Amino acid sequence: MPSSSSAPARGLAFWGVDNLRMFLFLLAAGATQTQAQIPLGSASAHNEVLVTNAVVMTVTHGNIRNGEIYIKDGKIAAVGVNLPTPVTAELIDAGGKYVTPGLVDCHSHIALGGEDEVNEATNPITPEMMMVDAFDYQDKAIYRVLAGGVTTSMLLHGSANMIGGQAVVIKHKYGAGREAMLFPEAPRSIKFASGENPKRVYGQERHQLPSTRMGNFAVQRESLVRAQDYMREWDEYKAQVQMGKAAKMPRHDLKLEALADILRGNLLVQIHCYRADELLTEMAMAKEFGYKVRAFHHALEAYKVADKIAAEGVGIATFADWWGFKQEAWDAIPWNAVMAMRKGVRVAIKSDSGDFARRLNQEAAKAMRYGGATEEEALKMITLNAAWVIGVDDRVGSLDVGKDADIVIWDGYPLSSYGVPNKVLIDGVVYFDRSYPGYGMPRFKEEDQ
Amino acid sequence: MNHHSGCSGRSCKRRVARRTAVIGCRIFLGAAFTLLGYAGTFAQSRAVVLKGGKLLTVSRGTIESGVLVMQDGKIMAVGPAGTVSVPSDAQVIDVTGMTVYPGLIDSETHLGLVEILEGGSSSDLVETSDEIMPQMHVADAFHAESDLIPVTRMNGVTNAIVAPDSLDTLPGQDSFIQLAGKSAEEMLVIRDVAMPLNFTGNQRRNESWEKRNFPQTRMGMAAQLRQAFLDAQDYAEQWARYERKRNVEEKGAGKDEKLEAPKHNLRLEALLPYLEGKKTVVLAAEEPSDLKTAVALAREFNLKFVLNHISHSQSVLDYVASLKVPVIVGPIYKTPKPEERYDTVYRLPAELHKRGVKIAFSSSFDVDTYNVRNLPYQAGFATSFGLPYDEALKAITLNPAEIWGMGDKLGSLDVGKIANVVIADGDPLDVKTDVKQVFIEGQQIPMTSRQTSLRDAYSR
Repeated sequence: MPSSSSAPARGLAFWGVDNLRMFLFLLAAGATQTQAQIPLGSASAHNEVLVTNAVVMTVTHGNIRNGEIYIKDGKIAAVGVNLPTPVTAELIDAGGKYVTPGLVDCHSHIALGGEDEVNEATNPITPEMMMVDAFDYQDKAIYRVLAGGVTTSMLLHGSANMIGGQAVVIKHKYGAGREAMLFPEAPRSIKFASGENPKRVYGQERHQLPSTRMGNFAVQRESLVRAQDYMREWDEYKAQVQMGKAAKMPRHDLKLEALADILRGNLLVQIHCYRADELLTEMAMAKEFGYKVRAFHHALEAYKVADKIAAEGVGIATFADWWGFKQEAWDAIPWNAVMAMRKGVRVAIKSDSGDFARRLNQEAAKAMRYGGATEEEALKMITLNAAWVIGVDDRVGSLDVGKDADIVIWDGYPLSSYGVPNKVLIDGVVYFDRSYPGYGMPRFKEEDQ
Repeated sequence: MNHHSGCSGRSCKRRVARRTAVIGCRIFLGAAFTLLGYAGTFAQSRAVVLKGGKLLTVSRGTIESGVLVMQDGKIMAVGPAGTVSVPSDAQVIDVTGMTVYPGLIDSETHLGLVEILEGGSSSDLVETSDEIMPQMHVADAFHAESDLIPVTRMNGVTNAIVAPDSLDTLPGQDSFIQLAGKSAEEMLVIRDVAMPLNFTGNQRRNESWEKRNFPQTRMGMAAQLRQAFLDAQDYAEQWARYERKRNVEEKGAGKDEKLEAPKHNLRLEALLPYLEGKKTVVLAAEEPSDLKTAVALAREFNLKFVLNHISHSQSVLDYVASLKVPVIVGPIYKTPKPEERYDTVYRLPAELHKRGVKIAFSSSFDVDTYNVRNLPYQAGFATSFGLPYDEALKAITLNPAEIWGMGDKLGSLDVGKIANVVIADGDPLDVKTDVKQVFIEGQQIPMTSRQTSLRDAYSR
C-alpha cells in the first residue's frame, strides 16, 4: 500500500492554509445565496461539510492519515490534515475509517426497465436509441448499488447491435428525482458491440445479416459509409444555400445523424468486444473512418494485444475474473487487468451487472491479488479510470479540490472482502448511511418518488 | 485471527517483508512438486511436514506457529511447534508467515457438467424433458478433465457438491467430489450423495400462456411431486409383496402360478433411499410460501432434508430454526426484493447463525460455475454483516463436511482426516490473499491451470 502514512499534508499543496481562510471568508459571505441552489441540501441547511478523522484515499496523491475533507456547495474545497473548522460546517467524524471517492461504474444496465428494454434488438444499427428515454429513476437497483459505494454509473445499451444506443450517465442520488440524477453535462457515449451477441441475435435467432463476424463488420462499415454520404449531402446542401442557390433540403435522419456524430467525434465510442482479433479490427475500422475508440468493454483478451491498445490511447473496462461463460470468454484470465495496465492501457473494472455493481471494491481488490496492482492502481480502476472512460474524470473519481464531493466512508478496508460502505455522499449530501434505519437513506421518502 | 486489519499501516510493512520469505517458499514448493507430480490416491509414502505456519484448525482454534504432518493422504499429526514429532525422513516445507487451513468445500456447484455454457454443446447441466428425473446421476456426466477444475482448486476449493441445474423439481442426484484425481472414479468421493428438490417456481413449464405445459403452476409442481413419491411408495410395496410371496414359496408353502416380479422402474427406484430416510434431500426454496409447501411435502413423505437458498425467507427464520436442519446459504448475492433493505440477503448467514442454525455456503448462482473459486470471499463478506469470522470459515469447511457425511474425514486440520490442506499468504476469506499451494489427499496439486498457461504465454 503506497503512501498511507507518508503523505500527511499533500492535499493542502493544492490549497494553502491562507487561501483556505480566504476561501472560508468568501464563502461565509456568499453562503445564503448558494444555499438555495442546492437541491436536497441537508435538512439543517448546511452547505458545508467537514469530514474528519479519516484515512483519505485520494487516488491521485496517496493516502492521508488523520485526513480531512472540506466540502463546500457540493464540491471538494480542501483535502488535507488539520483543516480550519468552519463553525458553520456539518461535521462528519469518520472515526478513523477509510474514505475513498465515490465509485464509478462505467458499464451498467440497471434502471433501464429490465432485460427486455436494454436492447432494441430489431436492427443491428440503432444509434438513435437514447438510454435516457428508458431511464427508470425509481429502480431500487440504483439504491442497492449506491449502498455498495457507487455514486456515478454509465447506463449503456445492450450488446445485441453492432451500433446500439447512446448512454445515459447518472449519479445515484436515489430519491432526488429523475432530473437530479442525470449527471450534468456528461459527454455523450455510444455503445458498439461485436462478436457473438450480434451473430446470435440476428444470425441465429432471426436468420438475417449478420450471422458471422464478417457480417458484423460489414454491417458496421456499411452504416458508417451511409453516414459519410449523409454528411456529404448536408454539406452540399448547406454550400448551395450559402451561395444563394435553390436546393432541396435532405431529410433529417435521426439514425444517420447519430452515426455522423460518431464520425464528427461528438460521441465517445464504447465497444463491447472480447477477442483480440476483434479488438484490432475495431481499431482498424476506427482509423478507416476517422473516429476514436474511447474504451473497449469486457476486453477479456486485451492482455494479448495490450501494447497495440495502449498505442492507440484506448482504455479498457473489464471484468475482474469473469470467464468461460461463452466461447469468446474462454481465454479470459484474471490477470488481464493488470497485464494490460502494465503495458500502459488505462484500465477500469466495471460491473455489467446489478449484482457486482454492489461490490465493485472487491472486484478491484482482485487486481491486487492477480498481478499485484498497488492499492492505488486497484482503486483507480473503479474510480478515476472508470470516470475517464465516461469522460467525467475532471469532475469525479478522485478526492481533489474542485471535484464533486462524491465520497464513500467505509467500514473495513475497502480493497478486501470486508469493505462495506458506511456512508455515501454525493455532491456533499449523505444519500446513504448504513446506520440509518429502514433503507439507510436519510433523505429518501417512498412517496416522493 | 485478525481479519479486519486489511493492509493498514505497519502490519503492511510486515507483510512486504514476508513476501520475500514467500517467494523462497514458492520456489521450494515448485521444485518439490516437479519431483512428486500428481501421483494419485494414497501414493505418498514419505511424510510431508508443513512447519511454522499459522494453522487454522477450524475445530480447535488457531495455532500461531504450528506443525502439520501429512502421510499416506492423511493428516498424521498437528500441533504447536515443539509438540509434534516429525518423522526423520520427512520432507519439511517451511511455511513460516503462511496461513494453513483445511481445503474449502462448496455446497453447490456444477463443476464437471459444463465447459462453455453458451451454445450448449458442452453442457450436461440438466435434463429438462421431464420434471421428475431422480434417475439422473451427475456422476454419469462428470467430466474429470474439465478446465474449470484446476482453476477452482488453485484458490483452495478442494471439495464440492456437484448438482444438476435447478430447472426440474427433481433433476437428479448430486455427487460429492474432490477436485483432484486421475479420473472421475477417483474424484467422485460419494456418488448420489443427495437429491435436490427444487421448489422455487423456476421449475414450472410456463414459458408463456401459449407455450404452457404441465406443471404450469406451483400446484402442478406439488401434485406432480406428490404423485411421484406415492408411485415410489407403491412400487416399494409391490416389491415387498413380491418378496414376501417368494419367501413363502421358497419355504415350500405351495406355488402361485401368477407370481411375477414387478417391472423394474429406475425412476421410482431412485426415490427409495430418500423415502426410507437413508439419504438427504436438498430442499431449495426462496420465498416463505414455497419453503413451507416444500417442507410440508417433505414431511408428508418423511424425507430427511436440508434447506437450500431461502434467500427471501427472512420473515420466517424462527420457523426455519425450529426445523433443526442445516441451511445452505448462497449465494448471498441474490438481489433483495424492491421493498427490502439492500443488505437483507447479505445478513442471512448471520441471522441464521444467531438462531443456532448450522450453515454452509454455496457459490452456485444460476449456472455460473466458473467462479467457484470465489467461495471464500462470500464467507468473508458475510462477516461484514454480522457472521462471526470462525463461523464463516466453518461454513466452507467443517459444516459442509458434516452436512455431506464427511465430518470425520474432512473440514478441519485434525489427525486422521484426509490431508486436503491449503497454504496461503494470509486470511483465507480475503480476496487479496494468494493461495500458494494446495494439497489434496496429501498430494501437492500443480498450481497451474489453463489460465496460468495463457498468462505465462503472454507475459513473455
